[in-house]
Amino acid sequence: MIKLNNIVVKFGDFVALHDINVHVKEGEFFTFLGPSGCGKTTTLRTITGFIEPASGTVVVKDRDITHVPIEDRNIGIVFQSYALFPTMTVYDNIEFGLKIKKVPKAERDQRVREIARKVDLSDEQLKKAVSQLSGGQQQRVAIARALVTGPAIICMDEPLSNLDAKLRVQLRNELKKMQKDFGITTIYVTHDQEEALTLSDRIAVFNKGYIEQIGTPNEVYNFSKTEFVCNFIGDINRLEDGIVSAMVKDGAKLDANKHNYIRLERLHVNVEPRPGQVSLEGTVESREYYGLYIKYYISVAGQTLKVIEKNDGVRIYEEGQKVRVIIDPKDVMAYDADGKGEAQ
Amino acid sequence: MNASLDKKLRPELIIRLVGVCFFAYLFFGFMLLPCLNTLTSIFNTKNAAGERDAFAVIRFFLAGTMGKFVWNSLKLAVALVITVNVVGISIVLLTEYFDIKGAGILRMGYMTTMIYSGVALVTGYMFLYASDGILTTALKNAFPHMNPNWFSGYNAVLFTMTFACTSNHMLFLRNAIRGIDYNTVEAARNMGANPFKVLWKVVLPTLIPTLFSLTVMTFITGLCAMSAPTLLGYDSINPEIVRLAGSSTADEAFPQARAALLSIILAMFTIILLTVLSAYERKGHYLSVSKTKAKLQKQKIVNPVANIIAHLYAYVLFIIYMTPVVMIVIFSFQTYSAIRQKKLDLSQWTLINFFGKEDYQYLTSRGQYKTREGSISGVFSNDATLGGIKLSFVLSALAAAFACVIVVVACNYMFNKKHKKSGIVLEYALLFPWLLPTILICYSYRTYFNSDAIWYVGNKNLYYAQNVRMLIVMAYTVTKLPFSLRMIKASFYSIDEELEDAAKNLGASPIRTFLQVKLPIILPSVLAVFALNFNALFTEYDMSATFASSYGTSYAMVIQAMCAEEGLYGYNVNASGRRCASTVFIMLVSGLILYLVYGVGSRDLSERLAIRERRRKFFQKLSGKKE
Repeated sequence: MIKLNNIVVKFGDFVALHDINVHVKEGEFFTFLGPSGCGKTTTLRTITGFIEPASGTVVVKDRDITHVPIEDRNIGIVFQSYALFPTMTVYDNIEFGLKIKKVPKAERDQRVREIARKVDLSDEQLKKAVSQLSGGQQQRVAIARALVTGPAIICMDEPLSNLDAKLRVQLRNELKKMQKDFGITTIYVTHDQEEALTLSDRIAVFNKGYIEQIGTPNEVYNFSKTEFVCNFIGDINRLEDGIVSAMVKDGAKLDANKHNYIRLERLHVNVEPRPGQVSLEGTVESREYYGLYIKYYISVAGQTLKVIEKNDGVRIYEEGQKVRVIIDPKDVMAYDADGKGEAQ
Repeated sequence: MNASLDKKLRPELIIRLVGVCFFAYLFFGFMLLPCLNTLTSIFNTKNAAGERDAFAVIRFFLAGTMGKFVWNSLKLAVALVITVNVVGISIVLLTEYFDIKGAGILRMGYMTTMIYSGVALVTGYMFLYASDGILTTALKNAFPHMNPNWFSGYNAVLFTMTFACTSNHMLFLRNAIRGIDYNTVEAARNMGANPFKVLWKVVLPTLIPTLFSLTVMTFITGLCAMSAPTLLGYDSINPEIVRLAGSSTADEAFPQARAALLSIILAMFTIILLTVLSAYERKGHYLSVSKTKAKLQKQKIVNPVANIIAHLYAYVLFIIYMTPVVMIVIFSFQTYSAIRQKKLDLSQWTLINFFGKEDYQYLTSRGQYKTREGSISGVFSNDATLGGIKLSFVLSALAAAFACVIVVVACNYMFNKKHKKSGIVLEYALLFPWLLPTILICYSYRTYFNSDAIWYVGNKNLYYAQNVRMLIVMAYTVTKLPFSLRMIKASFYSIDEELEDAAKNLGASPIRTFLQVKLPIILPSVLAVFALNFNALFTEYDMSATFASSYGTSYAMVIQAMCAEEGLYGYNVNASGRRCASTVFIMLVSGLILYLVYGVGSRDLSERLAIRERRRKFFQKLSGKKE
């Protein structure tokens, strides 16, 4: 569906994107994830045509659109600020693109109302000024405006970042549902890893103008290809030499020269170790109570490990309590000193 | 691909070329060349033998009395800085900081200078304080030995301008004081400081940047004062330039070169001051940094004596501000005889100063009664007055619109990322007139275009006959460019860049994007700038005085004339009444414009939709009742 082939983008002497290759499949929800300044928005703007790459091609449905003007690309965009025209009503905002395409008035009206119904905007809301709508409603207007012209692809640039936390979660679910209903190929840009994991079919993790990994949420989370990815996504413990050598002594196959990591939820406290698992002694330093779960800081072999335990009311440990931490060496992700590694 | 690219580029290239030519024409033709001509004309004087003597004017300046005008202007400017700041800070503190009873009404009174200024205000003060003014007449009746001409010269100018020039304090200082974080005041109070200590140590320091800007602006206003010195008789630079510009070599030594020298001296002062100001503004880091600002609460003056003094002071200022306004409004509805005797006649009210005509009967020296038909006439029935209003209306509206259109086009260009460097050049070109005193620009126009050798205006003498109107429009436009640019540029910053991307993505052309997306957003600001420009130009005096000619008699000039030709031999019998009525008319126009700008103009789409809905319901109800 969308193929980015060897895309390079330069701003003066600064290379913003190095040799980007992405293949997005039809109907897929594809997310560009990364910290700010990593090149994810630049990649999106290259697809939509606001940026012309120094080299490489953008191909959509086997058609090279690298040099096609923005308006002829048939790609809808939902902007970070929504970019709704403040001087027009909701109706006029949605109608704008159809008017430019010179769609006859009757058909315009029909299409505006149809899309409005699909994104749950009432006739009453259509008559309102954009500023009279809530953040969530505004987002729906932005989506309706982007979809009404029938684009092949829709691009969203951090559309949830302007909202408060609760609304963000609520709209995330709505967004996913809408995407499923419309079945439209979606490219989504975010720096929020939780958003990326919950929404996406596949994720491309960006760092400093390179793509570090492309994969499903599970692949990216549990089989992070690089040290950057495993650090950027989710919380993680880096195992220091003390623990690594203790584990090796217990028969674990770990390389002390590599950077070894383990996720918080893969560590367990005071359970019976299964064959191959390593049990280490530790002391509870402190704990953070989150309700759904409890996060323990446990001192093991001169290092503090973060461990998450489900708050099931059974296992509650007090500060200073001696415990045993169970680690499965198979859960450890190891990387070379340059950050590259092989997910195990 | 290339062919289609060429097709797209060509019209754009032509538009760009036309734009470059236009702005180059405007800058070189109507800013740089005329002013350079003034500068060089200083060194082009000829002596009696007809030989060129480059430094004659400078020698004349150093030897003669010309220095007096510069000194007088400086003296006025320095004095004004003190008096305007004292009064300006007082009125802002009294209405915004201290808890004074009746602050709302006081504020209205202090703000009256915003709806009438320049000639209208000065003649208003004269109506009270001049030798035949209401107050002077009353005082003379009480103290027959007093000097009836007490209100003239330096003191009168200083007094009038002190109260006339506080509008900026009322706008900017008020804004600054409202922006103060009240938590800082509370913190100081909590640590034991009394309200005056808080004022001195906490509040005033945060106002220093604003006060500094206001001080520079006041200083420039003082230096460039025109209407007050002219009407009240004070020998400062500007009136002298106008006088010299109209003088001839037959009467005195090289008057034009002297006028040029004076205007260049004025320009040098202005440039130095503005350079200091902008350097200071760039550094400005006094601003409050607290994140959540608490609204300022008025401070009660606890000491009863101080409280009474503050109230007295507030109301004395209020009386000074309001008396001219009230008197003018009242007397605009009085008959000519009541005005002439400066006695309020409560039994006779009339609209004659506004509308209609009346005949006037007077006794000649030979003891006969004569009648002048229609000699008493109102603002809207007197040909000269109406002519002035019409001319000022058309010229001001044209110039205000031109300035807005030019600036909008320029801003649209400047805000395109592709035009970063050329945009800066354009911006500076449009800000250029800000550096120059208005009088220099007008004087330069008057002398430079008073020739049919200027090729780029088609070898036409623009100062000749009706052409002068074109010249006035150009001068109005050029002098309004910097203000318009500063205001409209600010509104361009409010356009979210993503809006432009969104429109482009939906297929809109740059022109369509501009007209349908960007323009509607900035339109309220543009209309506000248009209205404010118009407001300032409609009663503008300085420029029209420089261009004085029978074809360019603006409204302000008509008002000025109405001070002079009062009722001689039955002519213009009610000139004073008409002058009052004119001022009332100006106040109404200005008030309406300010209401439109700050009331109606600041409504956004949701507010307008709500009003439309209310109106629809109202009419529905109305028609429902009828049925």
